[in-house]
Amino acid sequence: MKYIILLVILLSHTGISISQSSDSEEPKFTVISGTVKGDRDSLLEGVNVVIKGTIDGATTDKKGYFEFETEKTGQQNLLFSFLEYEDKTIPVEILSGNNINLNVKLSKEDVKTEEIIVTASSFTSGQNNAVTLTPLEIVRIPGADADLYRAITTFPGSNQVDEGSRITVRGGDPDEVLTIIDQASLYNPFIFDETFNVSSYSTINPWGLKGINFTSGGFSAKYGNVLSAVLDLKSYDMPQGTGMFAWLGLANASLSGVYLSKDRNFGATFSGGKLLLQPYFAINGESSEYEPIPQSNQFGGTLSYKLGSTGNIKFYANYSDDKVGIKNASPSFDGFYNSNSKSYFTNLKLMTAPSSSTLINAGASFSLYDRNNEYGILNTDTKDIYSKGRVDFTKNLTSKIDINTGAEYEYSGYEIKGTVPSYSYNLNLTAPSFKIDTLSHTGRIGAYAETQIKISDRVFVIAGARTDYHTLSGKMSFDPRISFGYLPDNFHSIRGAVGLYHQYPRLDNYFRASDNDLNPEDAMHYILGYEFNKEGKIVFRVEGYYKDYKNLVLMDRNDFYYRSSGEGNVKGVDVFFKTKISNKFTGWISYAYSDSKRKQYDSQNLAPSNYDITNNFSLVGSYNLTDQIVFGAIYKLSTGKPYTPVTGSEFVSSQNVFRPVYGEVNSARYPAYSRIDVNAQYIFSLFGKFAVAVIAVNNILNHKNIYQYTYNSDYSERKEIITNNKRTFYVGLGLQL
Amino acid sequence: MKSKTSILVLLISVLILNLNIYADSDFDKAVLKAKKHLKEAMDKMDESKLVKSRGEFERILQLKKDVWLVNYYIALADYGLSMNAGRTENKDNIRKFTESGISIINKSIDENPEFADSFVLLEILNFNRWQYEQEKMQEIISATQTADADAMKLDPNNPRLILTNGISHFYTPEAFGGGVKVAIPEFEKAIEIFKIRKEKKEIYPDWGYDMAMGYMALSLIKRNDDGDMKKAKSIIDEALKLNPDSGFIAGYVTDQYKENNK
Repeated sequence: MKYIILLVILLSHTGISISQSSDSEEPKFTVISGTVKGDRDSLLEGVNVVIKGTIDGATTDKKGYFEFETEKTGQQNLLFSFLEYEDKTIPVEILSGNNINLNVKLSKEDVKTEEIIVTASSFTSGQNNAVTLTPLEIVRIPGADADLYRAITTFPGSNQVDEGSRITVRGGDPDEVLTIIDQASLYNPFIFDETFNVSSYSTINPWGLKGINFTSGGFSAKYGNVLSAVLDLKSYDMPQGTGMFAWLGLANASLSGVYLSKDRNFGATFSGGKLLLQPYFAINGESSEYEPIPQSNQFGGTLSYKLGSTGNIKFYANYSDDKVGIKNASPSFDGFYNSNSKSYFTNLKLMTAPSSSTLINAGASFSLYDRNNEYGILNTDTKDIYSKGRVDFTKNLTSKIDINTGAEYEYSGYEIKGTVPSYSYNLNLTAPSFKIDTLSHTGRIGAYAETQIKISDRVFVIAGARTDYHTLSGKMSFDPRISFGYLPDNFHSIRGAVGLYHQYPRLDNYFRASDNDLNPEDAMHYILGYEFNKEGKIVFRVEGYYKDYKNLVLMDRNDFYYRSSGEGNVKGVDVFFKTKISNKFTGWISYAYSDSKRKQYDSQNLAPSNYDITNNFSLVGSYNLTDQIVFGAIYKLSTGKPYTPVTGSEFVSSQNVFRPVYGEVNSARYPAYSRIDVNAQYIFSLFGKFAVAVIAVNNILNHKNIYQYTYNSDYSERKEIITNNKRTFYVGLGLQL
Repeated sequence: MKSKTSILVLLISVLILNLNIYADSDFDKAVLKAKKHLKEAMDKMDESKLVKSRGEFERILQLKKDVWLVNYYIALADYGLSMNAGRTENKDNIRKFTESGISIINKSIDENPEFADSFVLLEILNFNRWQYEQEKMQEIISATQTADADAMKLDPNNPRLILTNGISHFYTPEAFGGGVKVAIPEFEKAIEIFKIRKEKKEIYPDWGYDMAMGYMALSLIKRNDDGDMKKAKSIIDEALKLNPDSGFIAGYVTDQYKENNK
């Protein structure tokens, strides 16, 4: 007990002696002051300055000036922090009474992990200053039917294939456009992709995307095995809440939902949709004879789990199917073209940031696209299988230098079974045919390294290279690439890129090659453009490009084998102007001139490529009449695509059919394509919940665009097959549940 | 020997306790001072003061105590800065401070998921996103509804939660399920709770009483039934007594009253 009393006394006295000591000595303060500047020596207001481990500090004023007093002495660390700038720690030796004055410069967090630096030929959406496309714009573009791909075709450089979601870029084939979602290659994000005169639709939900980066050329070395363009999509890592949304339209119904656990570590999303065309056809009429009418189902979702404060693991799965029979009269067969498909896609992605400057992404994906096509004697079951494993590593070496590197292995399999006509001109049920049952597969190993360097506040360079090896052909490719940007001020920029791009031919091409001896097709891209971008309110861009193709697949007329002896080139100019006038009006004009020629497949001479659209013009506008009502309209006009004309016919007595005689490859063109679509959106409350109604009229002037020509049995009469996108009316209602 | 050891342990314990008391006291003093500055800045909607106040809380983070609470106040300062940016329609700054606020309040929630006020702040920060990313309406609705539900579960009688819902309804057109008819009972309830509510600690957030009275007055001015203007005047006077420095009451609400009472 006496010890306790002693202790209490001791403690009390210690406290007193400390306070007496403090009172008796005049505290000696040191004044620490200075100025903080940012990029281009701008004075920064609001920078927090603090001696680490204490609350001694100050905030800079409008002149970037700070001043505070401290009793601390000795070696101390001063921490400078400011929103959107990198923290800076400066060690100082404080000697009591010796004031300190500092001039400090902070750097913006310019090179962040996963940040997209806008390169030439890119249209992006996300949190950067050069946004050109937002999910809201995607769903509001008339005629785009809330489809990401269709929305992209309103920008210069890309075109729709047969009014569907498949796109071609700068005269290239649709297969030369790669879609990536969360690192995984997505080869068939479409329904009705290989159907006769039924437009394809994308199965990607634009609302689920946090970032969209579409690049029509000159893209990064991290993208391999793609020749023309990349659509790189990033979905949300974690939902931000819990809720459901239901949609009921004249042609479709869907339900989607998001869930976030209370501890915010687990999230899930789902979406399911069904095509219901009966009411749509009842109002708009059937533009063709169907049996069955087009039908489709889609469902999918994600599961996300947060790993620590910076990591995340996400599983993504999607399923879709479609089925349709459409009447078609060809010269040799009059009947239904039946097709159905099933598409499966899964992806597991892990993201972790071992440090604030290091990011690792790893993923594994699998996809299967299984379809059946039947028309006359043709009856095939085809499967495309892809599986990919990938690791990407990003390191911010300094605020100015970023290093990206990664590797991937991709398995591709192609299987076709069924009956194939021996001659393409004879499809009737008794035509000569052969059975096919073939499986081919390959692996591709790729690796890349790239650096992003901010040479100054106004100049960046991205330089990199990649290499790929194809196990089936045993061929290797090496692609050096460089792109740069010069931003003389906050509004103007000049961007360019030069690089080599390779893509291995489709697996079915190897069936017709001797010993799988096909090189990867390659294209050299040269791009130079200028852009004026005033905070997204006014965007003007003009860009010229030239692409030189080598090693394209070409049929050798001597032995009918495919060889890598084709070539081609494309040159063109893209012009884009977008404006936003307050919150009332958003609109853009896009024009693309392109001249694309290829010596490829059957074309023994340089001829217009299949998707050589010389002039392509889009005018898009959206007007907010009130906060609740939005009107939109789009006008599209383009040169008709090329086709190979039939110049005569020969009777083949052994088969009792006529065989067409063709003119020069792609020497004729369909008439110009044009279409005007309009829509209106109304936001309101239903049962106390958020609701949105949409009314749309596509092809309001009912312009008869030609899908293709067909002929009578002896090819003496040509008939037009009009696209199924005649004037149609659509209404839909969405409700937040 | 045993008793000497006991004394040593006791001595160390008391010393540690003593140090903690000092640390707690420093921390509380610092938070209370910064909280006062933040209130002044928010009352005046003074950007410079808001920035300084934010910095003050950032410095308190160095004490590494109740980091979740300090982060709450930093996020609240961000909210104030975003609201201030909204007055000048500076969308870049609305986005910058809203995104920063959401990121920081989420950190606070990670550190302490049992504090209802954090969810209220998350909800109002998410409301702000309407101003610059309407395209994410579904996501914003989900985020606000979830934050609202989380706050409701933790503290259904939190007056700031009730006030937030009232403000949301006040600005939502009747056609969308809002309007003053829905908002007034919520403001009344919030005011009743504010009258008797005492936060568990002085350092905890306690803002909103004068704001609830201001919005109540605005709702009455908007409804303008018999006797509403008189009631509104009385509430404005009462609110000014409660917080004579409130720029919101002395400026906007009073102006609205004068304009509608000519």
